[in-house]
Amino acid sequence: MSMGSRRKERAGARDGHDGVGATASDRGVRSAGPEVIVDDVTIRFGETLAIDRLSLTIGRSEFVSIVGPSGCGKSTLFNAISGLVRPTSGRVLLDGRDVTGETGHVGYMLQKDLLIPWRTVIGNIVLGAALTRGVTRRDREEAASLAARYGLGGFLDHYPHALSGGMRQRVALMRTLALHADVLLLDEPFGALDAQTRLDMQLWLLSVYQDLNVTVLFVTHDVDEAIFLADRVLVMSGRPGRVIADMPIPLSRPRDIDVLTSSSFTELKRDTLRLLHKPGSVAA
Amino acid sequence: MTALPAVVRRTLLRLALGAAAVALIFGLWNLVIFAFGLKPYALPTPQSAIAADVHRWSVIQALTIQTVEETVYGFLIGATIGFLLAVLMSASKMVQRLIYPTLITSQAVPIVAIAAPLAILFGFGLLPKLVIVAWIVFFPVAVNVLDGLAHIDADLVNLSRVMGAGHVRGFVVIRLPATLSPLFSGLKIGATYAVTGAVIGEWTASAQQGLGTYLQTANASLDTTGVLGATILLTAIGVVSFLLVAAFEGVATPWRTRSTARRRLRTTDGRIRPRTPDRLADDPIVR
Repeated sequence: MSMGSRRKERAGARDGHDGVGATASDRGVRSAGPEVIVDDVTIRFGETLAIDRLSLTIGRSEFVSIVGPSGCGKSTLFNAISGLVRPTSGRVLLDGRDVTGETGHVGYMLQKDLLIPWRTVIGNIVLGAALTRGVTRRDREEAASLAARYGLGGFLDHYPHALSGGMRQRVALMRTLALHADVLLLDEPFGALDAQTRLDMQLWLLSVYQDLNVTVLFVTHDVDEAIFLADRVLVMSGRPGRVIADMPIPLSRPRDIDVLTSSSFTELKRDTLRLLHKPGSVAA
Repeated sequence: MTALPAVVRRTLLRLALGAAAVALIFGLWNLVIFAFGLKPYALPTPQSAIAADVHRWSVIQALTIQTVEETVYGFLIGATIGFLLAVLMSASKMVQRLIYPTLITSQAVPIVAIAAPLAILFGFGLLPKLVIVAWIVFFPVAVNVLDGLAHIDADLVNLSRVMGAGHVRGFVVIRLPATLSPLFSGLKIGATYAVTGAVIGEWTASAQQGLGTYLQTANASLDTTGVLGATILLTAIGVVSFLLVAAFEGVATPWRTRSTARRRLRTTDGRIRPRTPDRLADDPIVR
């Protein structure tokens, strides 16, 4: 009960200051995305040890990519941070506050877009408001501005089935942004897209990240994608998941498409691939 | 003459094809009567049966209204009960395991067998007919809606939890609308069967005359034209019920047939304006 009301207070306080749809002038004064600390988290499903004493610190407004073999517990880690799964032991802290097992603090996006077929683009973007407190005119206006700013302004009244895969993923991300969450967990969001669309979406996400002060955790299987987007790449081992390498990505922002063919990018990619395919790092 | 909207043209074409199918069946029917030299008292032509309906319309009208009332009210009651049962069962596996076997058993019971006890319990009026119609209708509705509720993507449910959704809003925003498509599947099955329930109810015992009692009387007096006339009317009630449900489905689930929301439901058209100036020029995709 007290947990629930505290959560509401926090959400209410954020509404007042730093909405995603805030104007360009007040975007500058937004506070940074919070520091995310995963403190000694162990998650066990029956006999299976999914995550073994994992500790991570993601800095304020940092963009961190996580790569690792399939089944290394990346999605489980996200479920723990989002509060869907309560860790067997350990804590999750947002800016020092213990949110272990509590939902409603972060934006979460999966490879499946999970758009609701009977809601239009704008209806899907405001889903968070519809699910928590009811949609206001202001929510719709913010959603419309998000859609316009990120290239879907002409599709507000379209149903999801009428959109391409890339457009659907953009709507899904806008829905995540419209939550006003300042931590985004993106679980292979572009994994199902073709290479061309995927690169477009990466450039788009970079521009979104440039606009907003959010902390981002991004799970991917694609090493190029991990390096291109992030400030830091974490390499995880096979189950039980542990972080076996923590690579800073010292590429300057804003990044454009030329970064992908630069020599520093190639070196980072080589190092990451070596870590990832080191003998013993792959799950059986 | 302005061109008709695509939806109207599609609907008209479909109705025309349906009418053509009926005409074809009536044609074959006449052919069979002609080919085998059947006497009118053995098998009347459909047009003579319809002519008899028209001729006796002053009598039949009230009977038709009576049967339609039983069908419609029973259908609405059955659909409501079916829907509520599905929602109740989806709430917990325990409740589902408790109720589901009873539902299946209820459909295995021959309706004709319980019609008489129902008349004894509830009298000769409207009530036993409503019970029988609802009995037939609730089952496909309950089964379909329950399936719909059970097959909601678990990730979608998780997503709504991550977003901080409560039980009530989660149900209203995600689960309830997800039942619409399966609900209409159940309603369409129910709508075609409902009229049969009304006829069974009337056959058993009836104070008010309906098409079912008319059919029974015609049958008893070997009035095959009357039997066929009533049958055609009853069939028409079932078909029209189905078409009404299907039409309502089109209105209630626009996302299945349209790519954009109906104008009335739109958020644009000058009512909602973006709050910030467009920065389309900065978008890497648009640029």
